[in-house]
Amino acid sequence: MVYDFLICRSLTYAQRTASALGRAGISAYVTRIPRAISGEGCGYAVKVSQRKRSDALRVLSRVGIAPLRIYALEPSGTYREVTA
Amino acid sequence: MIYLDSAATTLQKPQAVARAAAWAVRACASPGRGSHQPAALAAETAFACRQAVAELLGVGDPERVVFTCNATHALNLAIAALVSPGDPVVISGWEHNAVTRPLYALGAEVRVAAGPLFDADAALDAFDRLVTAEVKCVVCTQCSNVFGMVLPIQAIAGLCRQRGVPLIVDASQSAGALPVDLEGWGAAFVALPGHKGLYGPQGTGLLLCGKEAAVRPVLFGGTGSASLRQEMPDFLPDRLEAGTHNIPGVAGLLEGVRFVAERGPENILAHERRLVALTRDGLTQLPGLEVFGGGLGPEQGSALSFRVHGMDCEAVAAWLGERGVAVRAGLHCAPLAHRTAGTLDTGTVRVSFSAYNSAIEVERFLSIMERMVRKR
Repeated sequence: MVYDFLICRSLTYAQRTASALGRAGISAYVTRIPRAISGEGCGYAVKVSQRKRSDALRVLSRVGIAPLRIYALEPSGTYREVTA
Repeated sequence: MIYLDSAATTLQKPQAVARAAAWAVRACASPGRGSHQPAALAAETAFACRQAVAELLGVGDPERVVFTCNATHALNLAIAALVSPGDPVVISGWEHNAVTRPLYALGAEVRVAAGPLFDADAALDAFDRLVTAEVKCVVCTQCSNVFGMVLPIQAIAGLCRQRGVPLIVDASQSAGALPVDLEGWGAAFVALPGHKGLYGPQGTGLLLCGKEAAVRPVLFGGTGSASLRQEMPDFLPDRLEAGTHNIPGVAGLLEGVRFVAERGPENILAHERRLVALTRDGLTQLPGLEVFGGGLGPEQGSALSFRVHGMDCEAVAAWLGERGVAVRAGLHCAPLAHRTAGTLDTGTVRVSFSAYNSAIEVERFLSIMERMVRKR
């Protein structure tokens, strides 16, 4: 499966994000931000299936949660920033 | 032992509290510091606790639930966020040193909204007179730790909202029994211990932050977030939670909060008020005692003070202690409250209750008190 990383400002925000997605039936996992895209240093992201991206963003927007950035994990193993 | 000192800390806790704390010592690492299983367990525990607290105490989102060491720590954070040297601050006449000392240390200009004991209208009038637009903030306890007097916090909060003055509520003696509602009150902060009415372990406390609350860290260090920046993160809870968390404490606190939520704060309060009323009725029958009690109405919390004429309050507490009754005597770290009530010279003996006390314990305590009075 190919994943997106929803970058969150904090661990707690990532947990809120994953919890909101879980309640909507979208599998989501809190994970450390890969160093290659971590920008300001250590932090947390929520990993969701790329196929679920638009559903996930719709759910999050409904509950007032906004990821800082979204990265798609490319088959080559690199990360590409995507817009919502 | 008959433990009647829950206003200091609840000694009897749900069994799940100690079990959870022991589990966390064995199983949990540091939340936000790794992706391995022990770190993930710690993170899940911390988040579950924030969520449970948010639900119980009216906080809109769990990020604004900050873990602290105790209520004093939380009050220091709240006061440091809002008060600068020379600022006018209004407090009630029933505040603990956890409020007055930080204000004194900051050099705030403290104005006391005082009134008679168990007179909520007088307290509200005093706030009405003193809370003006120039006041930097109001700090008010929801319930006196000495006398168990409940302040009309909802009305005081309304007054503060009307006049645009931020409110800090000290819920040390109320959380877990009286209704606490950060968003409903529109308070800037609510500070509370985890180890009293929420039945968590000692070393736990909480600061609930309002939506608009601008916070100023007093402790700086690692947060597991934004680590390239030398400034503390500008988001909660990380901004106020530098260093490794007390996860065994948080795990225990989570179970305490679940216990309160399951039993219902209103049921716990009703039980404790019944015990206070039994105690008050029994003590007032004894000669030579002065009892400071409200009634069974909304002005009465879970503590009650009294003094025995001609006997030092510390001697009374020691005498009771020798007979297996744990109470607290003296000034209860609240000289302002004693000054307001006129008991500063003598202090008082305080009894305070939790969900784990029973009417049988009160009867035994009263019979021990009766022996004391007869022997004098």
